[in-house]
Amino acid sequence: MIQNIEQYLAQLKKELAGCDRATIQDALSDAEEYLRTALNGDMADTTVSEAEALSSIIEKYGTPQEIAAAYREIEGRLTPALVHIKTPAESEQPVKKDERSFLGKFFGVFTDPLTWGSFLYLLFSLATGIIYFTWVVTGLSLSAGLMVLIIGLPVTGLFILSVRGIGLVEGRIVEALLGVRMPRRQLFSPRNLSWWERFKNIVKDRQTWLSIIYMILQMPLGVIYFTVFITLIALSFWGIAMPILHLGYDIPVIYINGIHYYLDTWLYPFTVIGGILLAIITMHLARYIGRFHGMLAKAMLVRA
Amino acid sequence: MVSTGEETRKFQKELNSGTTALVLLGVLDRAAEPMYGYRIARLIEGKSKGTPIMKQGALYPVLRALESSGLLESEVEPSVSGPPRRYYRITEAGRQTLEKWRDIWIHTKGLVDTVLQGGDR
Repeated sequence: MIQNIEQYLAQLKKELAGCDRATIQDALSDAEEYLRTALNGDMADTTVSEAEALSSIIEKYGTPQEIAAAYREIEGRLTPALVHIKTPAESEQPVKKDERSFLGKFFGVFTDPLTWGSFLYLLFSLATGIIYFTWVVTGLSLSAGLMVLIIGLPVTGLFILSVRGIGLVEGRIVEALLGVRMPRRQLFSPRNLSWWERFKNIVKDRQTWLSIIYMILQMPLGVIYFTVFITLIALSFWGIAMPILHLGYDIPVIYINGIHYYLDTWLYPFTVIGGILLAIITMHLARYIGRFHGMLAKAMLVRA
Repeated sequence: MVSTGEETRKFQKELNSGTTALVLLGVLDRAAEPMYGYRIARLIEGKSKGTPIMKQGALYPVLRALESSGLLESEVEPSVSGPPRRYYRITEAGRQTLEKWRDIWIHTKGLVDTVLQGGDR
């Protein structure tokens, strides 16, 4: 028999093994919301033990096995924000495989919202990277420096809580722009613990430290993403705009020691085509890097 | 011989997989304010007569599925006692979908009733 809510959640987690990690986190927090609310209500007006009250609540809510089965069944239907939301008309058709030819896929990259999401994310990551990095470095050094004083522990605690919060927000951004499903809510820590126990749990949690590493990593990664993509896009526009720059505004290809260098006229079509191809390749690259970054975020920010 | 208990359970499960979403949309359409999972479950429990047709925990994944397809929207609010709660509210798309589903339901219900009662009326 299940003695307390923690035991129920542990069993549920075991039953869900192999599911998407975000689904597991959602299922656990749903179960916790129900069980705690129900238990609070039941324990208030009767004198039964927690285990007895819980067993009748679980009778109504469902056993870990039943609940796990329900989430597994629905998991396939949960889609991240931008990936693809089925309208009623579409959902009646069987799922179509991507049957476009290689060329269709190559040039069709611009029509996929995920491409633009990834591209935006990679450019934004410079800003978010700087913010996260500053916050983490300030927080860590402040916590370490104040550790000798009595306010050291509260500052550390608040800092770690803020890291968890930012991790969740970053998860929402990643899901919306990169299409990788991330948890919608924080897992609760057991409630019957003292402040000190909670503090120790959160400090010992591997997740906390992985989130901190992720936030530090975001800065160099953001700088690299931003530089690479701005350069690539600038190069493509440069190629595409070459004839206009030359003929319309008399701007040379390059200007060294007072000498202007121009391209021969017959080269213009090649720079334009080259620019367009480079833009398309850049977009494909953005998708791949976006996917990679989504995997990284999932590995570091979601509790296993 | 096929055990009838197994077949009945399977029938109930297949029936539930469609009606649950309809019931949840219906409840939230009528609700004056956003509701969280536990309250929705209790409300449905209060309305169902006899033995419950499904486990209340099975409502939650359906709520999430409805939200991810844009028929519901939700926000988390801290509660005075206990863990934070996710409050669900129906969207405009949800209302339109409910309208269509209601027609389908009435049609289906009519057909099933007619057949089961002999169908000569």
